[in-house]
Amino acid sequence: MKKYLLTRQELSQLLDRLAKETNLYAPVKDKTGATWGKVKNTAEVHLEEVNTREPAKGFIFPRCEVLLRFDQKGNALEPEPPEEQIVFGIRPCDARAIAFLEKFYTIEGKTDPYVKARREKTTFIGLACNRTAPTCFCLALGGSPHDATGMDLLLTDLGDLFLAEPLTAKGEKLIAGYPEAKNEHLTAGAKLRKKAEAEIPLRIDTAKLQEVLPKAFASKIWETLALNCVNCGACTFLCPTCHCFDVTDETVRGSTVRCRVWDSCQFTLYSRHASGHNPRLDPRARYRNRVMDKFYYTVEQAGVISCVGCGRCIIACPANIDIRTTVERLLKEFPEE
Amino acid sequence: MSRSEKLRQRAKELLASKEVAMVIGYCAGSKPGLSQPAFITRPEEAQRLIFDSTCSQNLANYLLKVKNSGKVAVVAKGCDSRSIVVLLQENQIQRENLYILGVGCDGVVQNGAKSVSCLACQYPNPVIYDEMIGDEVEKPAPDPIVAKNDKEFEQLSSAERWQVLSEDISRCIRCYACRQVCPNCYCPVCFVDASMPQLVGRTHNLSDNMAFHIIRALHMAGRCVECGACHRACPMGIDLMRLNRRVARIVRERFDSVAGVDINKPPALTQFNPADPQEFIK
Repeated sequence: MKKYLLTRQELSQLLDRLAKETNLYAPVKDKTGATWGKVKNTAEVHLEEVNTREPAKGFIFPRCEVLLRFDQKGNALEPEPPEEQIVFGIRPCDARAIAFLEKFYTIEGKTDPYVKARREKTTFIGLACNRTAPTCFCLALGGSPHDATGMDLLLTDLGDLFLAEPLTAKGEKLIAGYPEAKNEHLTAGAKLRKKAEAEIPLRIDTAKLQEVLPKAFASKIWETLALNCVNCGACTFLCPTCHCFDVTDETVRGSTVRCRVWDSCQFTLYSRHASGHNPRLDPRARYRNRVMDKFYYTVEQAGVISCVGCGRCIIACPANIDIRTTVERLLKEFPEE
Repeated sequence: MSRSEKLRQRAKELLASKEVAMVIGYCAGSKPGLSQPAFITRPEEAQRLIFDSTCSQNLANYLLKVKNSGKVAVVAKGCDSRSIVVLLQENQIQRENLYILGVGCDGVVQNGAKSVSCLACQYPNPVIYDEMIGDEVEKPAPDPIVAKNDKEFEQLSSAERWQVLSEDISRCIRCYACRQVCPNCYCPVCFVDASMPQLVGRTHNLSDNMAFHIIRALHMAGRCVECGACHRACPMGIDLMRLNRRVARIVRERFDSVAGVDINKPPALTQFNPADPQEFIK
């Protein structure tokens, strides 16, 4: 697709205008880094960190999604429909995760209406990564610091100029009227891509993983891989693709809401049956489930590995469990027969 | 011989002589400047062990996980050893199944800076051990900034304190990393996980978040050793130590009790003393 050019100032003006016209979200600074926040103007946008602490999945799959409301008399009240929103500054890994969530929630022709409605109301303006963190490994899983998957518009920071690549009609609309990029700009963009990609040396043989993981399922290796794991939900809640939820009813001051809230396969409650039986009581089985799900189960279900290599689980893990190490060990200890 | 070398040697000897079945210590993490818990069962693996300022996890937490592994040796800093004392007092682990390799600690580092819990540390040396690896370290002077922040917090009105806490706690995502890394938070079913009936709402609104944090803080009263593991584990960077220090201070001042420093002194909340202050009963 054609690429366009914006000056830094034009981008600021565009964001300022969007902030006035609609709900604009972007990375903002907080006590310990960058987080997503609603911004009123470009000055509030904070792009100094490689990525935000939380992923962007909450924009289409919020932590708490109200499904139903009813009052004490039993009258059903319509939940509020999602509002239009523009998300600026999403990184390629997180946008890829958005694409995964869209795909996952439409498998076998069954569409999740909530995710769909929110995605339709959301425009993702992505920003290619010109620098990476030591925990980044998108490239190892088929992504790239300059990948555009899942975005409506991808911007590449060339210094004084931004290269803008629209991916959808929404992106086209945003960029309408700006001049087309010339060859020298495309070359500059490609150079930055190459440089960023060179910062990620790790490669994972994803095809081989598909053979290894079912074999490794019953292995004792999980006992050593997961001994550190304390079974908190930090990795799953900060994961841009973790998508499990639980449905809960809550009554606050006479009004009851039924909402779906994020759940984590790392919690014992997650797999407890109504009978009280819990097939995944062993903490190691719960860690195994997370790894199997990322690299095997979602391939079976949706055809794609659901780890995008953002590295948040590595940063967040209080026991310093590194999913890269886990995968590398699995590949090493279960050679192809 | 450096402390890490001595640790490796002793771990190797303990495993080779079959005195212990496992040594729980630290090994280098996958990122520079980080270490991770290590579970060593073979003498030749003992060379992986390290001990330095990156060794931040409270390893007492893992003693509950390896209960059926026979006698276990554990590397314990001052705070870890206090957690062990609390676990012993509460009959969660058996002293005869434990071999404590004590290490003096100059404070652990997170993201390049000394952890806030270590800035206020008064027990850098283990309070209980079978042998010390290396020398004891000197008790640091209490950090004036932590004391100043605490004092400022204390002097706020209760509405203002609520405001400060609310701002922090509203960011909680309820991943329970704080609870899971806490050695002394070991209930088989946590009150937030009780589902029949549901005691605490599962949405992430402030009242549910606050209920979790305040009830947890109260459950830890007289038991929290202020190791700061929860604070360091929080992926959202919530200042959990502010609440913990305050609770610990109240217990210390009211009941003359400090958690986990004296194995022979019953914990504050397990004993009744008619002289206890009870002006809240009206």
